Amino acid sequence: MTATAVPVPTAVPGGPSRLRRVGALAGAETRLLLRNRTAVVNSVLSPLLLVALVPLFGAGDAPLGQTLLVSATAFTLVFLTYYNLVVTYVARREALVLQRMRTGELTDGEVLAATAVPTLLVTAVQLAVVAVGVVVLGEWRAPVDPVLPVLAVLLGAVLMAVLATLSSVWTRTPESAQVTTLPVVLGATALSGVFFPLVALPEALATGARLLPLTPVVELVQLGLTGRTWDGEAVAGAELWWAALVPLAVAAAWVVLAGVASLRWFRWAPKR
Amino acid sequence: MHPTPTLAPVPAPVAAPAVEVTDLRRRYGSFEAVRGISFEVRPGEVLALLGVNGAGKTSALEVLEGLAPASGGSVRVLGADPRRERAAVRPHLGVLLQASGLPGDLTVAETVRTWAGTLTAPRPVAEALAQVDLTGRADVRVRSLSGGERRRLDLALALLGRPRVLVLDEPTTGLDPESRRTVWRLVRGLVDDGAAVVLTTHHLEEAEQLADRIAIMRAGTVVAAGTREEIAETQPATVSFRLDPGTPQPPVPAGVEVVASGPRVEWHTRDLQPVLAELLTWAARAGVQLPGLQARAASLEQAFLAVADGADLA
Repeated sequence: MTATAVPVPTAVPGGPSRLRRVGALAGAETRLLLRNRTAVVNSVLSPLLLVALVPLFGAGDAPLGQTLLVSATAFTLVFLTYYNLVVTYVARREALVLQRMRTGELTDGEVLAATAVPTLLVTAVQLAVVAVGVVVLGEWRAPVDPVLPVLAVLLGAVLMAVLATLSSVWTRTPESAQVTTLPVVLGATALSGVFFPLVALPEALATGARLLPLTPVVELVQLGLTGRTWDGEAVAGAELWWAALVPLAVAAAWVVLAGVASLRWFRWAPKR
Repeated sequence: MHPTPTLAPVPAPVAAPAVEVTDLRRRYGSFEAVRGISFEVRPGEVLALLGVNGAGKTSALEVLEGLAPASGGSVRVLGADPRRERAAVRPHLGVLLQASGLPGDLTVAETVRTWAGTLTAPRPVAEALAQVDLTGRADVRVRSLSGGERRRLDLALALLGRPRVLVLDEPTTGLDPESRRTVWRLVRGLVDDGAAVVLTTHHLEEAEQLADRIAIMRAGTVVAAGTREEIAETQPATVSFRLDPGTPQPPVPAGVEVVASGPRVEWHTRDLQPVLAELLTWAARAGVQLPGLQARAASLEQAFLAVADGADLA
């Protein structure tokens, strides 16, 4: 070893920025993802297949391109963002990677964020591919409000990440995620308004469905793209943002709820 | 760049302890894994927590590392709480966990580079690899490393930020003797530069070789603490010899506990020298041979085994 007698520093002039720290770990995580070809193929193909099935169900009388984008957002967020992140967090925890990453200067939140970056990148690529596909098919219609769908996707991605940290609490192995994610994957998706308009439901049930985590995201994307509220009313301008308040609040509440629960119960190491 | 919280500068060498543990307790549900232990480690000093598996060593370290809260007592690392003031402590803390927890599909160099990217003042990657003799393995994936190589990589990461406090949980368990010596040499080098080290081990030799002071833990408490000589001295010295048939029994000197009385005699005593003198004087006067005569002070091993048997030494 090089026996340089460096005087012990008493103070540190200034550490790496938060962004650089997260970037270092996120870069390694992305590299790991790209080295796992099966994972790359799966994470890109399976949501595409699901999206391809969407026209079979049909969702009301909206134009096909917009329907496809709404469905693609919902499916990608659930099957890719949420599911992948549950599996990733659990796998990293059980392989003792999370605990080791916590022994350095990264904060807990930075470890979780960096671990999520590859999945979030794939999510973004996935949605971009679908959007391009819609343009290529000649089904593109200018959104009624261009900001709201983007905001909805960002909020949805954060919500899925927080739900994933929470779901990892009662998921002991990556395999058992197939079962533990069912409430969100089946329940929340079925009643999100993607498969059928929620107005078809009795009012009490529809209200309940609108409180599920994925529904507000679907509502917001649809509202921004088509200008139609969940019960089919056409709105624009200030009225549109007024209609967006309830789903925004519901989604935000889920983020806070799942976030607080994760803070309380998240496990960094396997149970012993 | 953002302002980094600074620690109070460490005054003259002998001054403040780098690690202060006071009546530390740690509880899992109804089970108390750590039951009120206290110790201090000064800069340039190595403390070994020695004990069998389940003695509470790792549970105690996790609090020092800032990974778990204490359920009682207090822990200060460089004067700060390692959990609540983690951002201030971490740039100066090197941690080696019992389990490596490194992704298998990154290469050695990528792993070190990634970790360096998260640190305030990392060593150059090449220096870090050379330090643990892994330069030639830089492009090998972590999953292909041998156990010893992986442990040395763990250590390279723990040392990467030039820590002032190093916490090592079983640094050499499962290593071959040569790798073990490499680890000891590295730790020694860091200590010579003024680092404070806390390590756990169940290897007596490791504690003897590396530690300035040893604390033996059993069932969540420290049952003996001090230098290895101090701990050994808590145990009696042993005198043993054989008596040929027909030889008279020697008189038993005061303060001797007779463990066996023939044909092989074994005595335990805390006054080795006078007891031995008395025995030899008697033998000379009586013209008796004492074949296989041995006299030895207690060893750390003896003390450790006595503790494992359940006697409290402290």
